[in-house]
Amino acid sequence: MTNSPKTAARINRLLAMLPWVIANPGVHVDEVCRRFGYTRSDLVKDLNTVFVCGLPGYGPGDLMDASIDDDEVTVEMADYFSRPLRLTAAEALGILASAKAVQSSGLGGEALDRAVAKLEETLIPGAGDAVVVDLPEPPLVGMLRTAADEGAVVRIDHTSIASGVGKVRDIEPWSVFTTLGNWYVSGFCRSAVAERVFRIDRIRTAEATGERFTPDRTKRETSIRYTPGDDDVHATIRLGEAARWVAEYYPVEVEADGSEGMTIRMSAGDAAVIARLLVRLGHSATLVDGEAVAAATENLRARILERYSDAPQSD
Amino acid sequence: MQKVIERILNLLAFLLTVNRPVSADEIRNTVAGYDRDSDTAFHRTFERDKALLRRLGIPIEREATDVFEVEFGYVVDNEQYALADPGLSDEERVALSLAVQAVGFGGRPFGQEALMKLGGGAGGTEGTQLGADLGEQADAVATAFAAISERRILAFDYRGAPRRVRPYGLVHRRGHWYLVASEAATGTIKVFRLDRASALATKQERNEFTPPDGFSPAEWVLRDPWDAGEESTVATVRFDREVAWIAERELGSRASITPGSDGSIEAEIEVAAPSAFIGWLIGFGDQAEIIGPDDLRAQLVSLVSAI
Repeated sequence: MTNSPKTAARINRLLAMLPWVIANPGVHVDEVCRRFGYTRSDLVKDLNTVFVCGLPGYGPGDLMDASIDDDEVTVEMADYFSRPLRLTAAEALGILASAKAVQSSGLGGEALDRAVAKLEETLIPGAGDAVVVDLPEPPLVGMLRTAADEGAVVRIDHTSIASGVGKVRDIEPWSVFTTLGNWYVSGFCRSAVAERVFRIDRIRTAEATGERFTPDRTKRETSIRYTPGDDDVHATIRLGEAARWVAEYYPVEVEADGSEGMTIRMSAGDAAVIARLLVRLGHSATLVDGEAVAAATENLRARILERYSDAPQSD
Repeated sequence: MQKVIERILNLLAFLLTVNRPVSADEIRNTVAGYDRDSDTAFHRTFERDKALLRRLGIPIEREATDVFEVEFGYVVDNEQYALADPGLSDEERVALSLAVQAVGFGGRPFGQEALMKLGGGAGGTEGTQLGADLGEQADAVATAFAAISERRILAFDYRGAPRRVRPYGLVHRRGHWYLVASEAATGTIKVFRLDRASALATKQERNEFTPPDGFSPAEWVLRDPWDAGEESTVATVRFDREVAWIAERELGSRASITPGSDGSIEAEIEVAAPSAFIGWLIGFGDQAEIIGPDDLRAQLVSLVSAI
């Protein structure tokens, strides 16, 4: 017998429901269920538990009284449970940060603004700015979200980070989400005939084609994962001291970490992605292995130097 | 589970009404549901129950039962137990309920329990899936938040070194949680990325400090990586037609932009950390070019020439 998270969740809900029912005697059973996410039978079960609990002595005058009469819920003899339990730090942060994220995205409203102000005043009095969530929505997020909800096929002009080249594609958007500071749309790309995830800030324009697809609610991604593919390129890179952040920032395998620096292994769908990183790192990183990446890196260096070979142009 | 819930409710009812520290023995002999035969069984059960109460946020403390401090018992302070009621209206509860559904922490909703304690969702409508995720570090962020709200000193390890700080604020920006704090020893304001901090622990004493008047944590967390630096210069960069719109979007109002006749743009950008700025520019490959100043241009060329 252990006290499982399920037990904790049940007690948590009970201690939240009781004060509210005590403050609103005779409230309709449906209202209690809706508010606290109960099914009627679960609520009956919890009220029956309340009915057999109370203060030492545990006689009729010591136990709490809980009943559903004509669909009206009443709890009495339970003054000690008349005040809701305080929030834990995690709960307080969770609700405040969630609310602030929605505010920042521009999807909030006046009621949310008022709620946030009240929460700040009680949870962190006098330090209203202590929690800041910066989650601006780039253009097109709202449009793509609506398209995903409605099952509208969208034509996007998307510039790949790897090649810097724009391409027009028709996609069936499944979900729109943000993670690690970027917004993404996942879906089925009709042009590639495959599942794809696109960064929304790299989509220049998007418009509905008028075609429809049936949205599959199970395909709502909310996170981005690197999924290895057959055409992926691989590279082994030695990182100097100034480039160690790469191992924290990107999903890499650390092969060795010693006095000569750190050696990592990295994979990507396009060699140009790793090439850009290598050029950016300059002397602080050395490519140890990876032919495709070596070629892409040389190509990128040459193109950039070519551009800078003349005197600065000015109009 | 049924027996556990009954026992916990009885224990909590007792602790909330007795108003004095009660010993484990007294609890065992008074509260219904505890084993009176086996010592081991009782202690095991009682330890688990205490842990459960604490996890729910119930402030159960151990205190001496008399002035001689011979015997210790357990007490729940009624005032600390209870929620400070923010007095939400149902309309505001609905707004919060939608927000909690829309935002996740590490893929899970976070805040449903809080909403129940605040009087429930007050409406079962399904909200817009914002699809926003505030990261995997929910525990560390919550610990830092507790330290901020109770004004306790916060200790943690950061890049291999122990730190002690007065925590002032939390900022979520560009996908990361940052802690803005003043170092306990020096009073210097520092910004820490929470996913690089470990072993966070709050010190016992509350109200150890007061944040400076009008302090705004958000101002300490950089908007762009190239903002960090002592002196800044203005860089002029040409972005080709294919990528001009990307640069414009990323820079927003923080750059002054002159459109060229061929669809390209020239942007004037304030740069305080040249190497971070050049790192960002290389993301544009050969579709961007620093026009000036010359030394910034030379710095890019020397970085790219490195073999």
